[in-house]
Amino acid sequence: MSATAEGIETPEGEAAPAGPAIRAERSTLGILLRSPAFLIGAGIVLFWAFCAAFAPAFVPYDPLADDLLNTLAPPSAEHWFGTDQIGRDVFSRVLVGARDILTIAPLATLLGTALGTAVGLVMGYFGGWVDAIIGRLIEVLLSLPLIIVALMVLVALGPATPTVIIVVGLVFTPLVARTVRAAVLSERHLDYVPAAAVRGEGALHVMFVEILPNIWPPIIVEATVRLGYAIFTIASLSFLGFGVQPPSPDWGLAIAENYGVLVGGFWWTVVPATVATASLVVGVNLVAEGLQRALAE
Amino acid sequence: MSGLRTVNTEGVDAMFRAISNLAALRLGRPAMQNEVIDELLAGRLDRRAFLRHGSRVGLSMAVMAAAMKTVGFEPIGEARAEGGQPGGTMRIALIAPSGKIDPVTVSDQYGLLVLQQVGDFLVLDGPDLVLKPMLATEWTPNDDGTVWTFKLRENVKFHDGKTMTADDVVASINRLADPANGSNALSAFKGVLSKDGAKKVDDLTVEFHLDAPNGNFPYYLSSDNYNAIILPADYSGDFEMHMVGTGPFKLDKYTPKVGASFVKNPNYWDGAPLLDRVELSFYNDQQPQVLALLGGQVDVIQQVTVQGSQSLFNNPAVEIIRLPSNAHREIHMKCQSGPFKDKRVRQAMALTLDRPRLIQGLFRGMAELGNDSPFAPIFPSTDKTVEQRAKDIDKAKQLMADAGTTGFDVTFTTMQIQELPALASLIKNAAAEIGINVTLKIEDSGAYYGSAVPGKSDWLDSEFGMTDYGHRGIPNVFLTAPLKSDGTWNAANFQNSDYDKLVTDYVAAIELKAQQEIAGKIQRLLLEETPIIYPYFYDYLTAASPKVKNMQPTAMGQLFLQKATVG
Repeated sequence: MSATAEGIETPEGEAAPAGPAIRAERSTLGILLRSPAFLIGAGIVLFWAFCAAFAPAFVPYDPLADDLLNTLAPPSAEHWFGTDQIGRDVFSRVLVGARDILTIAPLATLLGTALGTAVGLVMGYFGGWVDAIIGRLIEVLLSLPLIIVALMVLVALGPATPTVIIVVGLVFTPLVARTVRAAVLSERHLDYVPAAAVRGEGALHVMFVEILPNIWPPIIVEATVRLGYAIFTIASLSFLGFGVQPPSPDWGLAIAENYGVLVGGFWWTVVPATVATASLVVGVNLVAEGLQRALAE
Repeated sequence: MSGLRTVNTEGVDAMFRAISNLAALRLGRPAMQNEVIDELLAGRLDRRAFLRHGSRVGLSMAVMAAAMKTVGFEPIGEARAEGGQPGGTMRIALIAPSGKIDPVTVSDQYGLLVLQQVGDFLVLDGPDLVLKPMLATEWTPNDDGTVWTFKLRENVKFHDGKTMTADDVVASINRLADPANGSNALSAFKGVLSKDGAKKVDDLTVEFHLDAPNGNFPYYLSSDNYNAIILPADYSGDFEMHMVGTGPFKLDKYTPKVGASFVKNPNYWDGAPLLDRVELSFYNDQQPQVLALLGGQVDVIQQVTVQGSQSLFNNPAVEIIRLPSNAHREIHMKCQSGPFKDKRVRQAMALTLDRPRLIQGLFRGMAELGNDSPFAPIFPSTDKTVEQRAKDIDKAKQLMADAGTTGFDVTFTTMQIQELPALASLIKNAAAEIGINVTLKIEDSGAYYGSAVPGKSDWLDSEFGMTDYGHRGIPNVFLTAPLKSDGTWNAANFQNSDYDKLVTDYVAAIELKAQQEIAGKIQRLLLEETPIIYPYFYDYLTAASPKVKNMQPTAMGQLFLQKATVG
């Protein structure tokens, strides 16, 4: 990558500029509804969202209730996915376990997208040395492994759900900023931008009222892609013990709590949570891909 | 078990002969030793308790055998398990020791396993908690237990060829007792033995002048005090390079974080080991160790937990060696402030736990019930007549009502190790039954212990939390550090002058009967006050391949391999 002042080239494919917004909107929905990938992805995500919202009302057991005389029971008619090390029903825990991840991941994504959009707008609009300095800072941040940065902050601040949201949001900010900057660069020279400036509008107005509405498609796509990564990152943090705290049925935590008994053949304590995490990530990615294609057309 | 058995006439003759022999044996023995013999004759000690207490006050195996014959107990027989082929290499998996391997500072059960291969103790505390001679051949107290005299074994050679003498013993023990060296043994020696308390009498005799009377002092110089291996007097701190001790194995190579290998010491004082080599491999986690054992890459796992080694149970290719221990978890509640200030609330919390179920669910039954004091069933001084606390929600609710509360929110802090997170979740559920809403904070053990001083440690600062405690030969440290008013690990902030006095008396007590009597008082006081919940004492489990024979683990984490074979 060249290191000139205008340095950072369009980094990711999905940042391609979209056409005028209004026309895109109508056709986008049509394209999406004809895309099997999008429909499958949306189906998976909606299923888990439904579980997150309503599962506690219909699962067969209290996901937190222990039964020490029936620990590590294999799947049966009574316990469809068996029981874990302290006799909790794995099926109930997996369904209810969607709740934590589907609260934390979207909030973290929202935070990262909002901050990243603001930073990206500033970089793209002002350009020059502002862009150069922030650009180099972003490069430094991106050169650090994501999960390590998140871990360091969580070790310093202690594990807590709000901390996880903030940390993951901040870690995603530079990634979003880069995409948004690229989109702004392609808009900045269009006539409506100098026109607004001539009208005497301030920089903030131009960035957020004039440019932002015209670059939302790449932001939406980026946010969806980030959501997939957020789910994965947060599950990893929970697995490492720095995310959601016990006794939550959170999937990453469930894997962490039970992987030790995996060698003993008690696969049902780990596999459901793993499959659930994987399905949600795949679902979100299918949605992201569908959106990206639809918005690119 | 009662003492005298009915005997026939011939038996009576034999008994009289034995008693007159015994009378001869008793002559010239210190009062403390004769008291133990009297306890046996009076039927107040069973075989095991007699061996344990006799060994503590320095009765030799010969005298104890004579005494036991008198009351009709089985003579002492060395359990001779079927041996395997000599030679070969024993490969042992363990967690990587933290920090440097230095006998003065080693503070975990992984480092101590390294020390114990190359070094010997004055006294061996075996798996049955009976003391046996090692580098010391006998030990005797003075009448009030303030001065203990140890006779040393002759002709014991260090790995560098020098002969061990009283100078080496005095230097090794004083090194540990000197606060300037920051030794890990200071927590045990505090108030017991000070710097320069060990004095040479002659080349093979050492006297220990104690700070206060102590009836259990030999345990402080035994393998229980795992730092107390005897080193050359001129030891300078480079242990990882040379590891010169008197032990059955000599260092071949030590690589930090990777492992260590040892070769047999052909000149070992108790006969050359049967194994040619011992290799220790360090791991970061239990799972890879389990896989290595199942895959035949190692022969032994030093310690396995029930949680992490489910695959090893009922597996014919693995033998689980189970040792009763007093390792336990302490659930502390702050006594001076916060929601647990009222002792009725603390009692109520303790009444919510269904301990037999915890043991069944978390340990497959391989643990003993705790009764909210450190007096584990395994300690002979424990007063077993004290009523066991059991789950009683009605009583707990009544106590809460009497204390004027219907419930509250509280955070429970503990570490992410072994079964602690699972137990924390169970405690949360149990507490909910009486209206206590618990939020869990499960953290890395580094974060939990913090700087281990009040104000900078979640362990000592938390209102409600749980800490793990390893096995000890005697309950003294459990009684002092976490419970005495000035105890350095007093996370419950328990302040009770009656208790402090009872503990001082307990430590000084020499006769078993006196110890039991004070123990009973302490147990009842702690049940009433409940600063700490002791839910269970779990067994120490070592896993080995069935081809491993005659390996002797201890609940401290040691593996005595001198007689062991692997094929």
